[in-house]
Amino acid sequence: MKNIIKIVFASIILVLGLAACQQFEDVATIDKVTPLESTVSLSLDLGNAPTPSQFNVKFTNYADRFELSKVISPNGSIVVDGLIPGIYTVTVSAEMAAEGFTYNYSGSLVNQKIVTDNSSLSINVQASKSGALVFKEVFYCGSRTPTGGSYFRDQFYEIYNNSENVVNVRGLAIALLNPNTATANLPVWPGDDAANFVYATAIWQVPDDKDYPVNPGESIIIAQMADDHKKSNLNPSSPVNLLSAEFETYVNTTSIISDNPAINMYMAFWPTKMPQWLTTVFGGVFVIYFPTEVINANNYVTPIGSATKCYKIPIVDVIDALELIGNPNQINLKRMPTTLDAGAATVGGTYLTKSVARKVKETKNGRVILYDTNNSTNDFEVMDVPTIRRYGAVAPSWNTWK
Amino acid sequence: MKMRKIKYTYMVGASLLTLFITQRAVAQDAAIKQTSPASIELLKAGSLWMNSTNGAGLVLDNLSYFSDIKFTYGIKDGDYKLNQEGEKERLFGVSSEGGLKLGKGYAWGGFAYSNEAQRGTLFNTAIIDPQRGMPYYPIDPNKSDWMKQTYDLSMKVATRPFWDKVILGAQADYMTKVGAKQIDPRSEVYYYRINVKPSAIVILGNHNIGVNFEYQNSIETSGTINSDGQVNQPVFVLRGLGNGYEATVGGLQSLGDFIYTGNKAGGALQYSYSVNNLKFLASGNYTYGVEDVISSPTKPKKEGAIVENVIEGKLVALKTGDNIHRLELSYRTENLDGIEYVQELDNTYEVQSWVVVYSSIRSNYKEQEMSFKYDFFRGADHDYNWRAGVSAQYKKNDDIYYMPESTEMIKNLFLGVNGKYNFSLCKNCNILIGANLVYKNNLDGEYNYGGAEPDSYIITDFMTPDFKYMKSSYTKIGGDISYFTKISKTGKAGMFIKAAVDYYKPSDRDDNRIQSSLSLGFTF
Repeated sequence: MKNIIKIVFASIILVLGLAACQQFEDVATIDKVTPLESTVSLSLDLGNAPTPSQFNVKFTNYADRFELSKVISPNGSIVVDGLIPGIYTVTVSAEMAAEGFTYNYSGSLVNQKIVTDNSSLSINVQASKSGALVFKEVFYCGSRTPTGGSYFRDQFYEIYNNSENVVNVRGLAIALLNPNTATANLPVWPGDDAANFVYATAIWQVPDDKDYPVNPGESIIIAQMADDHKKSNLNPSSPVNLLSAEFETYVNTTSIISDNPAINMYMAFWPTKMPQWLTTVFGGVFVIYFPTEVINANNYVTPIGSATKCYKIPIVDVIDALELIGNPNQINLKRMPTTLDAGAATVGGTYLTKSVARKVKETKNGRVILYDTNNSTNDFEVMDVPTIRRYGAVAPSWNTWK
Repeated sequence: MKMRKIKYTYMVGASLLTLFITQRAVAQDAAIKQTSPASIELLKAGSLWMNSTNGAGLVLDNLSYFSDIKFTYGIKDGDYKLNQEGEKERLFGVSSEGGLKLGKGYAWGGFAYSNEAQRGTLFNTAIIDPQRGMPYYPIDPNKSDWMKQTYDLSMKVATRPFWDKVILGAQADYMTKVGAKQIDPRSEVYYYRINVKPSAIVILGNHNIGVNFEYQNSIETSGTINSDGQVNQPVFVLRGLGNGYEATVGGLQSLGDFIYTGNKAGGALQYSYSVNNLKFLASGNYTYGVEDVISSPTKPKKEGAIVENVIEGKLVALKTGDNIHRLELSYRTENLDGIEYVQELDNTYEVQSWVVVYSSIRSNYKEQEMSFKYDFFRGADHDYNWRAGVSAQYKKNDDIYYMPESTEMIKNLFLGVNGKYNFSLCKNCNILIGANLVYKNNLDGEYNYGGAEPDSYIITDFMTPDFKYMKSSYTKIGGDISYFTKISKTGKAGMFIKAAVDYYKPSDRDDNRIQSSLSLGFTF
């Protein structure tokens, strides 16, 4: 018996000892961290857009909360030193006014591994005119009821005409993209041209029944439910009364949901229909675009290894895009292609009764112009009280119920 | 429920083991005298090897039988503290130890259990002892209570000298801790540690040469959840000196469980020499340890690792006779490297796991300690009449986070005096009254944070106030009184009640801290 105890005891010590040896070996060759250098050059794909005199290059290491910015000339290269080894998002941006337009220039490398010294990075830069329609304010996280419950029916999406021209929003589509929430496990899409599309799980459209002109400085509100959410049977603590919203994503009348004065959006694609269009309070990814052809819900695709039905939207059709995340740490879990949105916005939690709103860039002839650099991290800020038509935006004249 | 069952079984088993050892002793060691707290103090003060890492040395100390059991209730109160300590702390503990001769060998066993309630702690989400030197753990700004329990079972054994030349021995310690944070984000933490030290001593006349090896294995697991699933809680995962990253508990992408796995190996050499009533023991220890931290064990992501090197040297000189003089000089240096990993997710559908693409030492923590201690015991027959001691300790911490660079350095000097007087009230009862004074003098200190967010609550509310606390000078005044009496006419059982108070008063702050305890104990 004594021998058995000795053998068992010796075996345990031996196994633990071997585990220790492996652990010691794993760290034996690890050295002190040293700063790294990287050389950046640009590949310009600007089409007919003019070439700005310089571009801003920004290295962001989200894991270390480390940022480093430099300026680079269009045809030159630059050596960036002092980089902490890590995974970087490298963005290139510039803005230029010419021929009556504002051009945005952007390029990026996402999840770029910089772990060796003297690495070389080449970044493709594209140009686009600032979009006329932009997401102005989005209230997605929901609110608290007086008893501390969660309320999500007061979500809204405000879309603003940021240009100096009238825009007709007839047929405008708003889409929620896959995946619903920030995740490291991004879906893999079939096809060689998969990177040219974004993939929607739901698409709603402004009805194609008549014109809906939106003048410069005007905005339209798309509400999940265009009701007065402060009503006693809804949520007296809600920050918004959405009875004046232009559109709502109405599905069915229930004891809570009614068909309000707002115009009902057309449900163009939504394979997993619910009583209301609740988008995730953790922060979804949205685009607005004008479909170039009728949306046929049967023409869906599914990610590899998944049965989730999604609709392909060509990136070139997208007018504006907004990535929302649950908290700042999820920025390294980006879902949106960086050509559409190089950053992300967040209120930092759920049911906080807060919204994200685009920052004011300038006011020209009384018209407020908002930032639109295709980087939501820079363009948006958190608002403690969600408010429709902030900064003096007005409703279109055809909204007679406002 | 299963965990609780294991804990009770463990506690009952350990208590029975200790009692078994001590009861056997009564039958075996007929010449033993009645033990008291003062006599146990004296017994330990007169031993060279008892506090060494070599269990085999117990035989050379020629220790007699002793045993006690003690129930303690303690409280701490006051704002002079680290953020992670409780505004108020309550501790209930029971501890027992006993030693006996087994033929020409010796065995010692000890068991301790404590139940601790810390009220109003800050900045610790998921680690049971945030002061243990682990830089990687999550914290949150919500003030919370912590409930903790500790079980500690220790033993040392020494064989008889074989051929009058060689003694074999072993030392082992098994500790478990459980803890739970009481406010969202709340965590349940389990900690286990086993440490074994096989040892041997060669006797060469008045010279003894000892060697022991050491192996330690430890695991800590913590899972963090929210009781209110509607409200996500922000946390900050520390990486050292205020650097780290933000995360969230609750919802999707919630912070995963943290698993700490550590192994340590090392050894020590000892040399002792005795002539007449003079004894010396010189010892040197070295340990090397690695502890890995991973999160989300089902898709493990490395949060970091530490590599620890500890070198320790100690010299003990002892003069026995009518009185005991004991002098201790020690030096200890600890060098701890903090390793961090750059990882990317292999998003291949069949794989989906984190892959390490780069690893480096991102931080370093050095601690140096030099101490001097002298104790004098007047009357060394069985109980001492009085004792007095002086001590001095120099401690330096020098920490750096390399990129972006942050540094913290603190140098402190501790000077202490203490004394106790043993008043004999009657033939079988006495009162022991003690007092001690410690002055901590801060010699230097500096904290420079070079990270991304110097205005965040991590720096302004956590790191900076804690640095100011560690840098502050203070005076500690302490006192204790214990009453001991024999409780059996024929046997050797005794009982004691002890009250102790320590009062900490910083030199340049208005706050203070009081620690007090009341103990009821038995010797047998």
